Amino acid sequence: MPSDSIAITGLGAISACGNNTDETLHNFSKGARSAGKVSLFKTELDYPVFEVKGFSQENKFMMRTIVLSFCAVKEALQEARLEGKLGDFRVGICLGTTVASQLNDTDFYSAYRDKGSAPMDSVNRYLKSNLAGCIAEFLNLRPKLCATIVNACSSGTDAIGAGLSWLRNNYCDIVIAGGADELNRVPYDGFSALSVMSKTLCAPFDRDRLGLNLGEGSGVVILERASLRGKNNFKLNLCGYGLAADAYHLTAPRPDGSGLENALSQALNEANIYVKDVDFINAHGTATHDNDLVEGSVLARVFGSKIKFLSTKGFTGHTLGGAGGLEAVFTCLGLREGWVPNSAGFENIDEKIGIAPVKERTRVSGKYAISTSLAFGGNNSALVFSRN
Amino acid sequence: MYIAGMGIIFNRGRGLDILEKALEDGWVNSGSVYGVPEEVLKDKIVLKDARRADDFSKMAILAAHDALADSGLGEKIKPKLGIILATAFGPHATTFRFLDDILNFGDAQVSPTLFSHSVHNAAVSYIASTLQSRGPTLTITQFADSFQQALILADSWLEEKRCEYILVGSVDQVGKVMEYIVSQKLKFAPDGKIRSFNFSKEPECIPGEGSAFFLVTNNQKDKKYCAISGVTSLKEKPDLTILDSDGFAGDESLYREVLGKGTLVSSCAPIFGSMLTLSSFSAVAAALMLKKQKFYASPVRENPHNLNLCVENKAGKINSISCLRYDCNAKSSIINLRN
Amino acid sequence: MGDNKEQELQVIRRKLKELLVSHLSLEDIKPEEIKDDEILFGEGLGLDSLDAVEIVVLLQRNFGLEVKDMNQGRKIFYSVDTLANYIHDNKK
Repeated sequence: MPSDSIAITGLGAISACGNNTDETLHNFSKGARSAGKVSLFKTELDYPVFEVKGFSQENKFMMRTIVLSFCAVKEALQEARLEGKLGDFRVGICLGTTVASQLNDTDFYSAYRDKGSAPMDSVNRYLKSNLAGCIAEFLNLRPKLCATIVNACSSGTDAIGAGLSWLRNNYCDIVIAGGADELNRVPYDGFSALSVMSKTLCAPFDRDRLGLNLGEGSGVVILERASLRGKNNFKLNLCGYGLAADAYHLTAPRPDGSGLENALSQALNEANIYVKDVDFINAHGTATHDNDLVEGSVLARVFGSKIKFLSTKGFTGHTLGGAGGLEAVFTCLGLREGWVPNSAGFENIDEKIGIAPVKERTRVSGKYAISTSLAFGGNNSALVFSRN
Repeated sequence: MYIAGMGIIFNRGRGLDILEKALEDGWVNSGSVYGVPEEVLKDKIVLKDARRADDFSKMAILAAHDALADSGLGEKIKPKLGIILATAFGPHATTFRFLDDILNFGDAQVSPTLFSHSVHNAAVSYIASTLQSRGPTLTITQFADSFQQALILADSWLEEKRCEYILVGSVDQVGKVMEYIVSQKLKFAPDGKIRSFNFSKEPECIPGEGSAFFLVTNNQKDKKYCAISGVTSLKEKPDLTILDSDGFAGDESLYREVLGKGTLVSSCAPIFGSMLTLSSFSAVAAALMLKKQKFYASPVRENPHNLNLCVENKAGKINSISCLRYDCNAKSSIINLRN
Repeated sequence: MGDNKEQELQVIRRKLKELLVSHLSLEDIKPEEIKDDEILFGEGLGLDSLDAVEIVVLLQRNFGLEVKDMNQGRKIFYSVDTLANYIHDNKK
């Protein structure tokens, strides 16, 4: 097993907060939040969403999730100077999603239900839309390993974690990892039914938070063994990953937060660092009552009251399978740029949580940062990143 | 990695005894779809905390539970246990029921329970809760390569000691809508029989469903069956090659090309039905054959290409079996098992 | 008047119990086994947060009632009795 550190050599992001990492940083610095009404599908409901704008989908046949993801992949490969050069390496593709894995086309299904037959267009689209498989095809690549992770809201984080495992076990030289999801009517209706969506802009960790806003987008990192391309001056590393199940409930987090605590402790152990070494945390922070209470309490318990943390979902909405990928990229941007934005939407501390996220743009100068994800089904995941 | 336990649920029932009998009996006509009968999914004890679970989750819970029980390792390994589930299509029947709600009642009056069960990882969540296992859990979907990718990740997790034991398995289901889709996209075998050795460019299928689970570990002392010695490459000539040519992944003419001359060949597809995760089921059958040191006759004998088919149930020395699958992109993957 | 209300409540309670058993997949419980004053959540019938939001949908679909505030829901969802009273007093 190579003992090499795992470098992050490229970042790509597309969300309502910006169609690439530069735009994202610009909007972070302005504190700009661009939520609005749903435009992508018809709905009777009226919850604000974070849609990606100024983005034209040339290939109408492809699922939006795939196209969003490809944008992020291209940006990340460009930064890594790997465009057109992947053929020289054993490449793995590991991407998380929720929507792209489901055959949930209402038009197809209603036609089938009403007439007993339906056009196969949307089925064909679905069968061609395995996220990791599709990206391989777009890149004209026969990847060494190719997997689509469907771990609900921690999919993106777990895809990056799986990529780390592949590299450590020397299955691959380079892994394209992250997550993507489009805004879709099924989760929009589903989260509404679960009574966890807010009619106002979401307020992660705030005392008066009313629920999440959905968003869409994709975040992708390029992982590679640091020695792969000889001498380098890579700035960022992925040093640890932890995931642990709650074994508690399909939709509610374990109230004592011990699942998340287990994931954090694994990730810190893998990175071989202590709690005090962590400079900031990009939290899951969906702005639902339960998630923020459990997550915030765990962060307070594990890292103490001084820990700098934030949720970027106030800028992007909850992008489901994309969230882990986007937030990994945002955590890396924080390390690279030396600052993190305000935790958008937060105003008043929730005394039950006991700690508050950063209220304004904040300097971060430490070496290590963490991104956490908590998912449906009781998945808890954490990634540790560092800068050299 | 070693197989310490196995669990299986398929058209003919639940458990390794049922599988052994099915291998003995060979092909029996089970209709145009090889579904899992409703009564097979009843278990008041194992499913006692899963009242809301759909059939997709129930199949997975039962097979995973049985794999752990089969190992006899029980409670003491639960703190070191991970779970990786492969599914090609996820709980689509529940997704369609959720779409029914949208169409019948509108966006504002849909069932949150149906929605929460329509996500692919609901089954793993149930397995973890049922077994009270707090280790890492993950669900992978990669169509015909789903189970193989799950095995590779399981191997990685064991190697890096993320966990000491892993329940790695698959689940897929059929349903009326999927049956319709299959009828539009593929050919059904008119007599209910998958002909795995025809190697047709447009093969015939019989959709199946079920779940197959393995408890795997690197601890040799816990080995109950055999080792999974690798995924993806055919290194040496095995004693038997099980072909997953089930009519579900398009052109099967490629199978013929990779088979070495004289290779002993069989297929389990006619017993389990067509599934993109069929390899997991074939691998359970293979592990059973290695354990029993017994060949089972191929369930279908139509052999237009004169392959060296395994044609009788007989004891014999078996050191290694490979399960070979081609996906829709003409990419082969092989699961190698050896004693 | 009082008798009339009690009769209506009786009908609502019976219907509610049937709906709870079928919508919440309470496999091993017969509707008539649920006591009018049995605590629905936690101890008692053992319902959880997912059942709570399912009951919200059940009230919408079958009685045309919306429960917007889940804090208010806690009091209403205490037992079949409290639910039936809420339905009786609020249905259109």
